[in-house]
Amino acid sequence: MIDENLTTSNPILEAKSLNRTFGGLVAVNNVSFTVNKNEIFGLIGPNGAGKTTLFNMITGLIEPSSGQMFYQGEEISFLRPHLIAKAGIARTFQNIRLFGDLSALENVTIARHIHTKSGFIRGILGLPPAPSEEIRNKQKALELLDLVGLSDRAFEKARNFPYGDQRRLEIARALALEPQVLLLDEPAAGMNPSEKNQLSEFIRELRSQFNLTVILIEHHVPLVMGLCDRIAVLNFGKLIALGDPAQVRTNPAVIEAYLGSD
Amino acid sequence: MAGFLSTYGFLIVSMVMGALLGLSLYLPLMTGQLSLASPGFYALGGYIAAILSTQVFKVSDGLYPIGLVLLEMSIAGVVSGVLGVLVGIPALRLRGIYLAIATIAFVEVLRVLSLNLDITGGAVGIFGIPQPFLTPIEYLWIVIPLLLMSMVLLYRLERIRLGRAFTAIREDELAAGAMGIDPTYYKVLAFTLGAILAGVVGAVSAHFLNTWNARQGTFDASIVYLTSVLIGGTRTFVGPVLGGMVFTALPEVLRAIADTAGLPLWLAQFLRDGRLIIFGLLIVLGTIFFPQGLVTPDLFKRRKDRKSQS
Amino acid sequence: MDITLFVQQFLNGLSIGSIYAIFALGYTLIFSILGIINFAHGALFTLGAYFTYALMGEAFGLNGLLANAALPVKLPFALALILGSALAGLVGVAVERIAFRPLRRKRADSLLTVVSSLGVALVIVNLIQYLVGAENYTFPGNTYGNLPAAINFGTAEKPIPIRTVQVVIFGVSVVILTILTYFINRTKYGKAMKAVAEDPITASLLGINTDGFIVLTFFISSFLAGLAGTLVASSVSIPGPYFGIAFGLKGLAVIVLGGLGSIPGAVLGGVVIGLIEAFVPADYSAYKDAFAFGILFIMLLVRPQGLLGRRFVQKV
Repeated sequence: MIDENLTTSNPILEAKSLNRTFGGLVAVNNVSFTVNKNEIFGLIGPNGAGKTTLFNMITGLIEPSSGQMFYQGEEISFLRPHLIAKAGIARTFQNIRLFGDLSALENVTIARHIHTKSGFIRGILGLPPAPSEEIRNKQKALELLDLVGLSDRAFEKARNFPYGDQRRLEIARALALEPQVLLLDEPAAGMNPSEKNQLSEFIRELRSQFNLTVILIEHHVPLVMGLCDRIAVLNFGKLIALGDPAQVRTNPAVIEAYLGSD
Repeated sequence: MAGFLSTYGFLIVSMVMGALLGLSLYLPLMTGQLSLASPGFYALGGYIAAILSTQVFKVSDGLYPIGLVLLEMSIAGVVSGVLGVLVGIPALRLRGIYLAIATIAFVEVLRVLSLNLDITGGAVGIFGIPQPFLTPIEYLWIVIPLLLMSMVLLYRLERIRLGRAFTAIREDELAAGAMGIDPTYYKVLAFTLGAILAGVVGAVSAHFLNTWNARQGTFDASIVYLTSVLIGGTRTFVGPVLGGMVFTALPEVLRAIADTAGLPLWLAQFLRDGRLIIFGLLIVLGTIFFPQGLVTPDLFKRRKDRKSQS
Repeated sequence: MDITLFVQQFLNGLSIGSIYAIFALGYTLIFSILGIINFAHGALFTLGAYFTYALMGEAFGLNGLLANAALPVKLPFALALILGSALAGLVGVAVERIAFRPLRRKRADSLLTVVSSLGVALVIVNLIQYLVGAENYTFPGNTYGNLPAAINFGTAEKPIPIRTVQVVIFGVSVVILTILTYFINRTKYGKAMKAVAEDPITASLLGINTDGFIVLTFFISSFLAGLAGTLVASSVSIPGPYFGIAFGLKGLAVIVLGGLGSIPGAVLGGVVIGLIEAFVPADYSAYKDAFAFGILFIMLLVRPQGLLGRRFVQKV
């Protein structure tokens, strides 16, 4: 059963009875949870459990069939994706959606969009503050590339990067939004064990450096258990457990549905 | 020189206008939207200029004042822009093929209207549109500044926040949205800028061609300009400019080649009359072998790299 | 509106609509399998009409490379119609090989395929013009043999005459639709075709020759285009090589109205647009084409999936 006592008093993101159906298929079934500020929150479950659908709802890519979502107390259930990004929720994608034909630097610079004010006229004419903004954006983007260890290849096309580097670049791009909440969809996919260890450390660093709240979907159970403060377990669209790693590990429903099958 | 200009004046001005129309198609393509609406706005701009100059301003003696041409161009730009927004907002919710079809429908509706309304002169169209210049070549005074302005605008655009938003949407609309970019806003903006440009060019073109009718800005015309953009290049504004010029000149070039002595008769005839067949073949070959067109940004980058290394 | 006039316009609308339907089916078959619109469809429509005209042994006009040329055969209309449409079908297969397959192999953006098919249309239309000129070609007077010019669907006192051509068009369309429905729903080939449409990769894993079915689809689609072109031309005339462009655009209106990729949708869309056009008041008949495109435009805005189409869900 879900332990209500763990919903503490500092929520940043709240889902209330979220539902989503595709045709006759129920992808997310009456899911409620709260994510606290500065938490690393894990989302696990077998394939097709509805994890990515949940991410897509939080980031506005698909609308919930019913239910509500709140971010810092404001309802965001039906906001369009760019407004949710603007509000402070950034994400990466399970199947990596970089702008492949553009350089790493351009990928990150694009994500500075909401922190740049110069519009059409000022931009075209190069009137202040456009030029200084451009320079600041480029600096910021380079810093972020440096942070993920890609600054020496800033001018290479994103599609030419190896898989693991593309994932890192996507994180840098998401960070360029200066988000409050960072959603990572299977960040460790395709990484080797040592890369996975580094990733855990890196996510913790990000949290403290940027004062972030991190929500991540991950299949690699040891990584999730070691990294997350709390874990939600989905199965067939339903939330079957929510709690700290120890609670989730010993939850019989979880063992049956997920860990047991491993 | 004077002989050359009087012989080729018409062609040179046409080439510059071709480049401008190429740019008007390129603008929506910057956001990845294949819109075939440009010829519609081009036709609209032409009708605005034709109607204003023959029925409203009616300057009877001497040359038609250039100021009035500029005024007509501005009005055509504003009307096209407003219509661009009105059509763009609903139409740009559509993606890919749906948008292409919607813009084709839009152009067809405009064409049928222009064929049947009294104000547009029905099937005959409007003629005797007054001339602001004595010779065709002098139209360069209007179209060259227009082209330079558009090129500077696009050069800047490709290097600022706005251009990056366009590119992001072209590369991956969904990811662009997740990066805080409003795809609808920027798609409508790019579409509208293209519409304004096409309308303005149409206004000059009506004077330049002296007559205006429903054959201007049809579906075929859009294919020809689409060719020029796609073969020229869809990743930098230089592509459509060069493409627009080359493809406008191509019929003349083919005709000139056909006139060279010693060509077999069938080939000479084909070069003269088979222009559109060659266009079509170029489209097919171009899309298969040069999906980003001939002029790509990498071309410039590589040159820059070489320079910086030496 | 007087009832006899109403019935007459209704029947005419049905006839026009049925030809729109079989033409649009060609578009839809290709869209449902490849997710692309073949803009050369209108050109194949034109080509079919010219092929049939030539197979009937008629001479071409004064202009073009083939001025005054005529085939040494004089086939009866029915046979020429089938052969001419089949030739259009073969050209369609060639178009697939030249303009579509290379792009499919490269997994190119579907918009590039659209552009490539526009290029093909430009080549076909202008090649026709180059070869046989832009003259108007009317099918010979005895195309429909000894059939009367019109058939009365009313009574002797209140006649409702419908041109025989329109009746034939309707009849042929119904026959074709029946055969096609049977083919798609009942035969092994039709089922495989649907499987390819549903999921090309899985279909090829199941041992279905995807390329083969794409070729077959292009043949059927282009056959339908050629057939429609010939029937329309036999009703009016071939006004020139650009004949099919306007019809091709009209066909787009039909499939968007019915729903892209939906076979019943193409039929419904065709009949609806045919009927609407038949009932456009005579004062506004010049605006007839604008109606179809106006409907198309509005449909795209309010219900892009069309009357019978399925809503497209993008995978994230």
